[in-house]
Amino acid sequence: MNITRDDIMTIFPKVAETMASALACDKERVTLEASLIDDLGAESIDFLDIVFRLERAFKVKIPRGKILEEARGDLSESEFEKGGEVTEAGADRLKSFLSEVSPERFKAPLKVADIPRLFTVETFCKVVIRQQRVAVPAMSVQTS
Amino acid sequence: MSIPTLVDSGLSDGVAIVTGGSGGIGRAIVQVLADCGMQVVMTYHQNATAAAEIVAKHPANRVWAEAVDVRDAAACVALAERVVDRSGRIDLLVNNAGVTRDNPLAAMEPEDVSVVIETNVTGTLNMTRAVVPFMVSQRRGKIINISSVSAEKGGRGQTNYAASKGAINAFTRALAVELAPRKIMVNAVAPGVIETEMSRPLRERAPDEVLSRILLRRIGRPEEVAYAVWFLSSKYADYITGQILHVDGGFKME
Repeated sequence: MNITRDDIMTIFPKVAETMASALACDKERVTLEASLIDDLGAESIDFLDIVFRLERAFKVKIPRGKILEEARGDLSESEFEKGGEVTEAGADRLKSFLSEVSPERFKAPLKVADIPRLFTVETFCKVVIRQQRVAVPAMSVQTS
Repeated sequence: MSIPTLVDSGLSDGVAIVTGGSGGIGRAIVQVLADCGMQVVMTYHQNATAAAEIVAKHPANRVWAEAVDVRDAAACVALAERVVDRSGRIDLLVNNAGVTRDNPLAAMEPEDVSVVIETNVTGTLNMTRAVVPFMVSQRRGKIINISSVSAEKGGRGQTNYAASKGAINAFTRALAVELAPRKIMVNAVAPGVIETEMSRPLRERAPDEVLSRILLRRIGRPEEVAYAVWFLSSKYADYITGQILHVDGGFKME
């Protein structure tokens, strides 16, 4: 699924506004590259709030755990992580899925519990766009 | 320091959801909250006639009745969304819906276990899950779970009900921890034997035994439970969370 810069910039203002009110911070601090936890001070309950507000703002459903599930793709859980740490194959998958996150932030060993630290504002823009596309049923059915 | 007059409970114009509003205790809670000026949405499962009567007793647009089976998680989510779409927010959730299926454990049918656990426990979690995201976004809210004296002082024939209410007490304390960062208070009110249809079989089965276990030697009235809910809902209880308030006339173990 191809997501262009234009796609992201189209929804970014509304995402930024939503996050700023969820985190009670200035909108200017909510940049595409900002890490929710490290830069914006989000706690776990804030993620619930952010996802909930994005769902209502964009009229989409974002299943809990969606980012990780999509990042893992067809890797089995044991291929993705062992004893709470992300495997090498898992880290490669994460790096390509979270392409907006700068590579130096992926430090091995990466704990599964620390994956949310990687999430940026852009990560959530992409989640919304993916879910918007899921919500629109395929309109062009080939008929012969 | 001046003594407050305790007139303004801070509830006026607030929005409340009360589950199981057509039962004895539920009806009293709806009444007290509506009298304080709250907009109250009461849910009922089957008793549409009783629900309509309660709505009709109050001024227009003060009390709404909605048929919701709290065991249906999607129905709970839909209700919370309808309430916020109409009223803009949810200030208070009272998880009051509950059922009994009394019998000695060995004589219970599987349904006697599942209906009680699913309504009293799963139903409470369902409705709370539906409401909490709105309260988290609002950064305020109060949740009051109706527990029971059975949770801590069991009686014969109520193992299923006692287990369900013990779960409610544990749920109350755990949720209070989870939601405190967002200034959402979670408490429970644990009634003893109250004069309602639900407790009638118990009161008729062993009237003397029941009274002998109550220090005040009388059965409680539904409004006496509702007053405790009012207190925990009000601004006077803003520093109370994770507590179980017993309204049972002093109930003894034996």
